[in-house]
Amino acid sequence: MESEGAESSVPAPVEVFSSIRERTIAENSMVVLLQGLQGEVTTVDLRNESTARGRVISVDAFMNIRLADVLYRDRRDQLTRLQDLFVTGRNVRYVHIPDHVDIMKTIQNQLSKIHRVRNFASEGGGRKEFPKKTK
Amino acid sequence: MVLLKNLQPPTEGIRHEQAETTAVMDGQRLGCGTLYVAETRLLWFDGSGLGFSLEYPTIGLHAISRDVSTYPQEHLYVMVNGKLSDENEAEMAEKAADDEDEDGSDDGEDDDQGTITEIRFVPSDKASLESMFSAMCECQALHPDPEDDDSDNDFEGEEYDVEEAEAEHGHSDIPSFYTCDEGLSALTQEGQATLERLEGMLAQSVAQQYHMAGVRTEETKADFEDGMEVDAAAMEAGQFEDADVEHW
Repeated sequence: MESEGAESSVPAPVEVFSSIRERTIAENSMVVLLQGLQGEVTTVDLRNESTARGRVISVDAFMNIRLADVLYRDRRDQLTRLQDLFVTGRNVRYVHIPDHVDIMKTIQNQLSKIHRVRNFASEGGGRKEFPKKTK
Repeated sequence: MVLLKNLQPPTEGIRHEQAETTAVMDGQRLGCGTLYVAETRLLWFDGSGLGFSLEYPTIGLHAISRDVSTYPQEHLYVMVNGKLSDENEAEMAEKAADDEDEDGSDDGEDDDQGTITEIRFVPSDKASLESMFSAMCECQALHPDPEDDDSDNDFEGEEYDVEEAEAEHGHSDIPSFYTCDEGLSALTQEGQATLERLEGMLAQSVAQQYHMAGVRTEETKADFEDGMEVDAAAMEAGQFEDADVEHW
């Protein structure tokens, strides 16, 4: 898997479009919505019945989620504070969308970001990626 | 009781190495050693070469814990799906699934059972926790879940084939390059005329190559209407004699 982008080790919101494949996956699934939650504080329910509430740093196309300043509640209801948390997409059951988030707008913003990345270089004669039109 | 096995340190793809790191597995202190965050797997072993390795797909989450009220030392917390067996850790997930699931079906069942192994890596250098964490994030991203049955991630057929897409789009404002045969038929009448004129110019300039480097300075033809001007006055005979005329 080619990955051009780099993840910053500083806990600040980062764009995680690191490969064409990831952009394709993201654009064609609801993960774009989660990617639009960067900077928001939300709760992630894990598949092992634990929950993690924190600020979304990044979400990649495979739904791996990085959170900061996390309150982690395990299955036994024990609370732990965690500075940084990375949960693999496979272990995510739910991601709570904060009430104030406009879902459609978030999705549209994320898609336009993807299209901007895709078209950015084309004006300068760079790489062109086009969605396949399924009519 | 976890049996540690003899392991070799990884030789390449090490994103982070942290010495003087204590490993604690499900509350049991295994000793002080070195943690290797390698692209292929996570390894830890003590000074005498005994240790364990973890496959990234089996790691459910990892985190930096600085909350000393929950655990007295700042550490890197790693939650592994399933139990580490005495056997090869790479087969750990399958083995755990066999043990717990009567159906013997996929790891999804095992996850729902919720059996996990909690590992804490306690480095002596607490400032290194961010680097350890970031290195693990990067390596995890290298191992996307292959058996993701929730989402339809089979986008192989829909990935962006530029040529294919251009053929479908047919937008005139998107520049594209034609091969000679295709291109000739795609020319308009005007385009055809321009092509002939340019080819004519090239043919003419070959004859003059010993005087000027392909630039016409004799009578300007009346049909050069495309605004191309040759400033004949500025040209001296032999000005370009030393130029390399083989320019096409």
